Amino acid sequence: MNKPWARRAIGASIALVIGIAASGCSASGAASGGGVTGDGEYTGPDVNVTFWHGWTGGAAPTIVPELIQKFNAEHENITVKAVPQEWGDITAKMPLAIKAGKGPDVAVLHGDDLATYAAQNLLLDAGGILDGLGYAAEDFPKGVFDKGNFRDAQYAVPWSVTPLGLYVNKTVLAKAGITEIPTDEASYTAALEALKGAGVAGEWVDGYVFTGTFEFQSLIWQFGGDMYNEDVTEATFNSEAGVKALTWMTDMVKKGYSPANVAQDGNIKALISGETAFNWNGVWQTTNTAFDDLDWVAAPVPQIGDEKAVWSSSTHWVFPENKGQDKNKTAAASVFVKWMNDNSLGWAETGELPAANSVREDPALLEQYPNLEPFMSQLEYAHYETVSPGISEANAQITLALNQALTGKKDPKAALDDAADKANQIITQNQAKYGD
Amino acid sequence: MTDTRAIVVAPQRTSAGGRGPRPSRGKPASRRRTLTAYLFLAPFLLLFLTFVVGPAFFGIWMSLTNWSPFRDVQDFVGLQNYIDLFTPGTVTSADFWKSMSVTGIFILASVPFLVVVPLLVAILLNQRIRGATTFRTIFFAPYVLGVAVIGVIWGYILDTQSGILNHLMGLIGLPSNLPWTVDVPWVWVSLVGVTVWWTMGLNTIIFLAGLKGINTDLYEAASIDGAGTRHKFMNVTIPGLRPVMTFITTTTILASANMFGQSYLLTKGGPGTETRTVIMYIADQGLSQNNMAPAAAMSYVLFAALAIVSVLNFRLQRERVEKGAK
Amino acid sequence: MTTVLPRRRMPANKAWAQALLYVILIALALVIVLPLAWMLITSFKTDADAVRAPFSLPNPFSIEAYETLLTSGQQPIFLWLWNSFAAATVQTVLILVTASMGAYALARLEFPGKKLVFGAIIATLLVPPVVFLIPNYLIVQNLGWLDTIWAITVPGAASAFGIFFLRQFFLGLPPEIEEAARIDGAGDFRIFSQVLIPLARPALATLAVLSFLGNWNDFLWPVYVLLSPENLTLQPGLNQLQGAYSTHFAIVMAGAVIASVPVLIIFGIAQRQIVESVAGSAVKG
Repeated sequence: MNKPWARRAIGASIALVIGIAASGCSASGAASGGGVTGDGEYTGPDVNVTFWHGWTGGAAPTIVPELIQKFNAEHENITVKAVPQEWGDITAKMPLAIKAGKGPDVAVLHGDDLATYAAQNLLLDAGGILDGLGYAAEDFPKGVFDKGNFRDAQYAVPWSVTPLGLYVNKTVLAKAGITEIPTDEASYTAALEALKGAGVAGEWVDGYVFTGTFEFQSLIWQFGGDMYNEDVTEATFNSEAGVKALTWMTDMVKKGYSPANVAQDGNIKALISGETAFNWNGVWQTTNTAFDDLDWVAAPVPQIGDEKAVWSSSTHWVFPENKGQDKNKTAAASVFVKWMNDNSLGWAETGELPAANSVREDPALLEQYPNLEPFMSQLEYAHYETVSPGISEANAQITLALNQALTGKKDPKAALDDAADKANQIITQNQAKYGD
Repeated sequence: MTDTRAIVVAPQRTSAGGRGPRPSRGKPASRRRTLTAYLFLAPFLLLFLTFVVGPAFFGIWMSLTNWSPFRDVQDFVGLQNYIDLFTPGTVTSADFWKSMSVTGIFILASVPFLVVVPLLVAILLNQRIRGATTFRTIFFAPYVLGVAVIGVIWGYILDTQSGILNHLMGLIGLPSNLPWTVDVPWVWVSLVGVTVWWTMGLNTIIFLAGLKGINTDLYEAASIDGAGTRHKFMNVTIPGLRPVMTFITTTTILASANMFGQSYLLTKGGPGTETRTVIMYIADQGLSQNNMAPAAAMSYVLFAALAIVSVLNFRLQRERVEKGAK
Repeated sequence: MTTVLPRRRMPANKAWAQALLYVILIALALVIVLPLAWMLITSFKTDADAVRAPFSLPNPFSIEAYETLLTSGQQPIFLWLWNSFAAATVQTVLILVTASMGAYALARLEFPGKKLVFGAIIATLLVPPVVFLIPNYLIVQNLGWLDTIWAITVPGAASAFGIFFLRQFFLGLPPEIEEAARIDGAGDFRIFSQVLIPLARPALATLAVLSFLGNWNDFLWPVYVLLSPENLTLQPGLNQLQGAYSTHFAIVMAGAVIASVPVLIIFGIAQRQIVESVAGSAVKG
């Protein structure tokens, strides 16, 4: 008898659609305001803990599974299942997935995303686990811990920091007769000039997030500026410092130190293939296996502006508040996070610096991974990403301005001014969207 | 679908075939036929209502609110999201119209090539040549590949500095530093070129089928009248392909209007936002930037624009057919 | 057949035209084949060789890239391959069943509301898919289908094109077919399943091919509704692979090869059927 079925099915589908539409009006579950505690013990029933992260490249695909396997072996009642995917995909998918109750029980996010998640009530308060771990702000590099603070609650446990550095292909550099790695504006320009004389464009400047935007941000801080004002209500990257920073980058092309129109990742590929000498890139490249046959070295980024500064990102553990989040899973996840922190020495293998000072400053770390030294030495003057709900949309305007200036569509000042106007509009929109 | 009893009774009768009293002519029979028809339609309609009609209305409703899945209360805002799109200076309007114009440029730049190149190739393949099937197979092959594969292959070929295309051009003395995926106008050449490379086979085989469908008597008649190649092409081939042409232009315009993967993967929408298509922008706003309501409004504005273009296209083609008939 | 050949003039002239024709066709074929060949060649290079000598043949010949992919727990590419096949097959079957039944009703049966239903279906052909993106995401989420095969098969199975295309085919069949069967006492369902469906086999094959390809190549939707690595299909998977190995040409190319060889093989085997059915769909439709 399937005719009534058909009728009911159509009716049901209409009801479903209406129901979904209606559910938008009604409350979708009050915020529980629960938190995560972290005494490192979990004695509840067996649970599976889903863990999302974006470490898909470099050495991570072997190390993360190894660590998780070890953790699972040591913990009878907890099984962690890792779900690696692109950072960009996580940004796009995770908020909706958490709302749907399909998100992870624990995840790693970058500093600039934390406030956006917290403002949307997607994260559990992590103050408890920080207490359990015995961590406080001064246990991490300056400015990292506070990235997880939103409206007086702490939502994140710092995990790693990833500053920019100067990668050098020494074989190419030697072509210009230079053996010293440049450290300041004068020596850097001299090296670029010498390389130009040897027919080499010394540093390829690109107009994409990886890594042109990171370079620009390092420079604006070096020139004494900042992306936004103190309480992130106004974009300031079009300040004099910003214009100086971007003009320095466009001048690289004008003076023939960089080719025009470098494609995304074009510069790191060129470094590997021996077409250029310098590349400003993140610490994560230290474990790139494509470097294996190169004579290369990493150094702090040169000081072009008036003070030392460098861009760095940071990653943090968070505990998503999935629709109907199972408290046991969160408790087990906090055990996992504590265990990972206790065992994070090996993490440097992935090309990231452990955030916890105690781990990072352990001499054993540098003995094993000497390439990390220049990155570590920069941390005292590193600047981290801006924290504000929805800020990544405003940040996208910076990359846009870079791209326009480097492809000659606009001069640096005009590009930054237009981008700042737009960013200000987005900030206003964010204030309405995420409340105040 | 009005009488439950009939629904219950009908299948017994249908399945019972000749047994039992046949329903009298008139109302019950026609009602039974109606029910049968809807029964056949039911599986499709279930899907259609749930995943096409439902979402369409849901989207309209969404576009009239400040919908966010992360807030407990959604406010009805009337046409505000649409008004914002049409008011210069709002957060979304400039970017949205820029992306609309990008899609417009892509349609204008790609559709002529996507129609003319396959037409010419189809005419070549329609000659009496050896290996026509092999050529046809080769030309169609890229179409079966996904856009992610296309993005991977061409991303490496078109790279400004390490790409194979610039390398080859350098070998034959042409400029070897063209920014194929980085700067205008080259990004447009790349996007159109890659799209032609990828999808040309589809339109080619459709044209080919159309050419084969033209009555050969017409050519012979034209020959007897002393018509030349050009004359035959203009007076026999083109009119003979007219229905196919309508189909191809319509579907190609729609396909180009929905372009997303090529610029998402090859140019990242750049330089700046020069190749950020409207689909890319709407998807980003709606899913990544949590601006679902404005994104919903944008998708309906796009729909309206496409509907207008399609109607104009139909009108135009029909006029031509009518003129041709006279 | 000889539609636009030059008029019969001097044979030499004709031979010259013929030669030119082949030159053009071969050049075009090279433009199509070379990028694919380059993908294949690069996938057999070592990592370093691929970056430093992108234009030469593999030296040494290496299957390193494939080994890396096979042993990587994070990018289970063969699972993605299987998922793509499973999803494309499930959706194709759904479309064939629902569209053939619906098209039969719209083409061969008379009932009130027919014009309305057909009009509504056709109208949606013009609607850009992006309109449905966000609402359907929320619907799929409410059905609990996120990160399952249902998310990438069922919503897309509401194929207005399938209905339109099969209806055109059924309309083209003479009415005598059913009349004869009806006289034999066959009901609607029997007429449909035992008379019309066998006749529609070429049209169904066409629709099957188009549906399969469409699902196989879908990119935007699976990126958002699939979450776990073991549930991904090839298109979003390959995108992820490119992100993870952006400076490793050989590995990304090996991934692209794995993603394309199966469809190219299927296409090679069934090319006549596929090409003719796709072409036929447009000309008849």
